[in-house]
Amino acid sequence: MRPSSRVGLVAGLALALSCAAPAAAQDAEVLRRELEQMRKQMQETQAQYERSMEALSKRLRKLEAQPPPVATPPAPPPPTVVQAPTPAEPPPSTPSLMDLLRRREPFALYGTRGPGQFLFDMGVAGDFVADFTQRSVERTASGTFPGRENRFFPREIELNLFGQVDPYARAEVRIEAGEETSKNELTVRLAEANLTLLTLPWGTQAKLGQMRARFGLLNPVHDHDLPQTDRPDVLRAFFGEDGLVEKGGELTWVPPLPFYLEGLVGVFDGDNDVAFGYGRIRNPLVTARLRTFFELGDTGGLQLGTSLASGLTTDANRNTIVGVDAKYKYRPDGWLHPLLTVAGEALWSRRTVSITSDDVATVQSRNRFGWYTYVELQPFRRWAGGVRYDWTEYQLDPGHQWAVEPYLAFMPSDFLRFRIAYKHTDRSRPVVTDAGPSPLRFDEVFLQGTFILGAHPAHPF
Amino acid sequence: MRRIIVIVIAVVVGAALLVPGARAAEKIRVVTTIPDLKSLAEAVGGEFVDVDSLTRGTQNFHEAEVRPSMMLKLRRADILIENGLDLDAWVDVAVGGANNAKIIRGAPGRIDVSRGIPLLEVPTGRVDRSMGDVHPLGNPHFSLDPGLAPLITQTILDGLARLAPEHRAAFEANRQAFLTRLDGEMARWTQTLSPFKGTKIVVFHPDFIYFLTRFGLVQAATLEDKPGIPPSPQHVVRLIRQMKDDKIKVILVEPWNDVKLARRVAEDAGAKALVVASAVGAVKGADNYIAAIDFNVRTLAEALR
Repeated sequence: MRPSSRVGLVAGLALALSCAAPAAAQDAEVLRRELEQMRKQMQETQAQYERSMEALSKRLRKLEAQPPPVATPPAPPPPTVVQAPTPAEPPPSTPSLMDLLRRREPFALYGTRGPGQFLFDMGVAGDFVADFTQRSVERTASGTFPGRENRFFPREIELNLFGQVDPYARAEVRIEAGEETSKNELTVRLAEANLTLLTLPWGTQAKLGQMRARFGLLNPVHDHDLPQTDRPDVLRAFFGEDGLVEKGGELTWVPPLPFYLEGLVGVFDGDNDVAFGYGRIRNPLVTARLRTFFELGDTGGLQLGTSLASGLTTDANRNTIVGVDAKYKYRPDGWLHPLLTVAGEALWSRRTVSITSDDVATVQSRNRFGWYTYVELQPFRRWAGGVRYDWTEYQLDPGHQWAVEPYLAFMPSDFLRFRIAYKHTDRSRPVVTDAGPSPLRFDEVFLQGTFILGAHPAHPF
Repeated sequence: MRRIIVIVIAVVVGAALLVPGARAAEKIRVVTTIPDLKSLAEAVGGEFVDVDSLTRGTQNFHEAEVRPSMMLKLRRADILIENGLDLDAWVDVAVGGANNAKIIRGAPGRIDVSRGIPLLEVPTGRVDRSMGDVHPLGNPHFSLDPGLAPLITQTILDGLARLAPEHRAAFEANRQAFLTRLDGEMARWTQTLSPFKGTKIVVFHPDFIYFLTRFGLVQAATLEDKPGIPPSPQHVVRLIRQMKDDKIKVILVEPWNDVKLARRVAEDAGAKALVVASAVGAVKGADNYIAAIDFNVRTLAEALR
C-alpha cells in the first residue's frame, strides 16, 4: 500500500470515528433515560404493590382477630334449596360526585332483572254486580246504579300497575273498565295515574297526577274494596257515583309527634262536575285533611279525621264541603280479622248558586248535610255481615233520602268475595228523570262477586 | 276561627320542632316488622339501639293490619328491619304513610334479612294461587331456625354499622356474645332432639320447616289444605288416615291458628296438638329469641318421648 493511500485510509477512519462517536454517545443517553424511566416505573409499581399488600394484610389481620362464627350443625339436605335473589347494596347516604355525574338510564335496569321478573307489580280486580229492583225504578233509572237496574253488569274491572320508579319515587297506574250507565256500553278510562315523591324533607311526601282525593274515609277507596256493595248515598249525592277523582297534587306531612297526625293539602283542577266543575288550576279546588289514630289497648283502634274541599262550580260559584269521619275496629288478640268494625262520615256543604227569576239574577247559599254509619261483625274468618244506614240531602234540589242496607259477605279466600245485600231507600220527594218521577220508596237486592288476580297492595286501617 | 287555626298550627309546628331536638342524643331507633327480628336486633345493637316491633308474636304476620300506629313508629325510625320474601309485604303501605325517607325501599336505613338465606320450599315451575297463598320466592319463616341466626345477625350488624359506623366494634362484640350463648344452647337443643331424627311431624301452616329441618325432623304434611287455605273435610280425613298409618304423634300449631281444629284432628289420629312459639312472644315464656326456640325444643321433645 502506498503511503498516500495509508494516510487517506487513516484520515477516512478518523473522520468516520469522529462522526460515529457523537451518535454512540446519543444512543447511550437515550438508553440511560429509558433505564431511568423504567426504574421509576418499577419503583412506583413496587410501592403500589406494597400498599396493596399492606391493605390486604390489615384486612386479613382484622378478619383473623374476629372470633369464629357459631358452629351450627349442618342442616339435612332440604327438599329444595335455592339461594335468594340478593338485591343490590343500598346506595350510600351521600352520593359521590361520580354518582351525581353518572348518566341516569332507567332502562339500563332491564339488564339487571332476572328472567320473568317485572320491575313493578301488576294486578287485576274484577267486580261484578247484579241489581234487582222494581220495574218503576228500572223505567226511571233512579236506583242505586242508574241505568243498570235489573242487570248483571261488570261494575269495575281494574288493571293496576304499581311500583318503584327509582329510589326516590313510586308510581301507580289504574285503568278501569265497567258498565256505567246504559246497557252494553263498556267504558274504559284512566282511573288513576300518579307519582309519589318519597324522599322530600321534613316528613313530607308529594303525590302528583290523577288520583282519588284523600277526602274522608271512603272516597279514596276503590269500588271493589268498599265495605258494602255500593258507595254511601251521601258520597254519591255530594261527589257523584265515581267520587272525587281529580288531577293535581297532594302534599302530606306527618310531624314527629308522640301521637299519629297526618296533615294533607291538595290542589286540583276541580273537574268533578257534581260538586265543582270549574276545571281550571288558576282557580283550583283546594282540599285539606287531618287524620289521627289512637290505639285502644292491644285489641282496639280508633281513627278520627276531618276533611275540607273548596272550589268553584261550573258557573264560577264557590262550593265548600267539610267532612268528619271516625272508624273503630275491635280485633281480639290473635284473631286474623276484626270482630267488630264501626265507622261513619258526616258531610256539610255550603254552595252558592245563581238563580235567575223574571230576568233578575240573585245569588243564594245552599247548605246541605248528609251522613252514613255502618257496623260490621266478622265472627268467622270467611264470613262477615253488617248493616249501613244512610241519610242525605240532595246537593241542589230540596229534599232528602234515607236508606238502610244489611249485607252478608262470604270470602272463600283473601282474593275472592261474594256478597249479598238488601237496600231499602225512602225519599222525601221523587227524583225527576226523563222517564218521569222516581218512586218515593223502593227496594233493591244486590249480588256481588269480586276477585283479585295477582298483586294487590295491603289495605290500611 | 282564624285565631284557633293559627294556635293549632303553632302548637303542632312547635311540638314537631321540639321533639327532634329532644331526641337528638337518643339511641338509634330501630323498628322491625316481626318480634323475632326485634329480639335479634336488640342482641346486636345492645345499649345503642331502641327497638320496637310492628307486630306481636300472637299475630299471623301474613295478615297484619296496617294501622296508623305503625306509621307513627316508622315515622320516627332510623332503621327498618324486615323479614322479606313477602311475609311482611304490608310494611310498604305502612312506610308509605310514614313519610320517612330514611327507611323507604333502597335507602340505607332499610334492612332485609332474607338476603343470603338458603331458602326452603322454593316453588319450581309454574306458580299461581291455585297453590294457595304461596310464596314465590320461598318459605319466609326462616327466623325460627337458630342455625340461621348468625346470618341474620350479620345482616343486622351490617345495617346498623352502615348507620352508626362508630359503634361497629360494639355491635360485633354484642353479636359475638349472643352467638356464643346461642352456640351453647344449640349443642343442648341438638342433643335433646337427636333421638327423634327422622320423626315425622304434621304442622298446621308451614311455619316450622326451617326449625324441623335444622334438627333432622321431617314435615310430613300440613293441616291446611294449601298455604293460607283452611282444610277441607276431605283433606282432614286423608290427613287423619296418613297420621295413623305413619304413626305421627304431633301436630304443631300456631297460637293464632285454629287450635280447636288441630286438637280435634290430633285426637282422632291418636296424636297431640302442640301450641308452639311461631315467633318470639307467641306463647308465655318465649319472651326472647333463645327462649322461644328453647320452648319449642322442650315442648316437642316432651311430646315425642
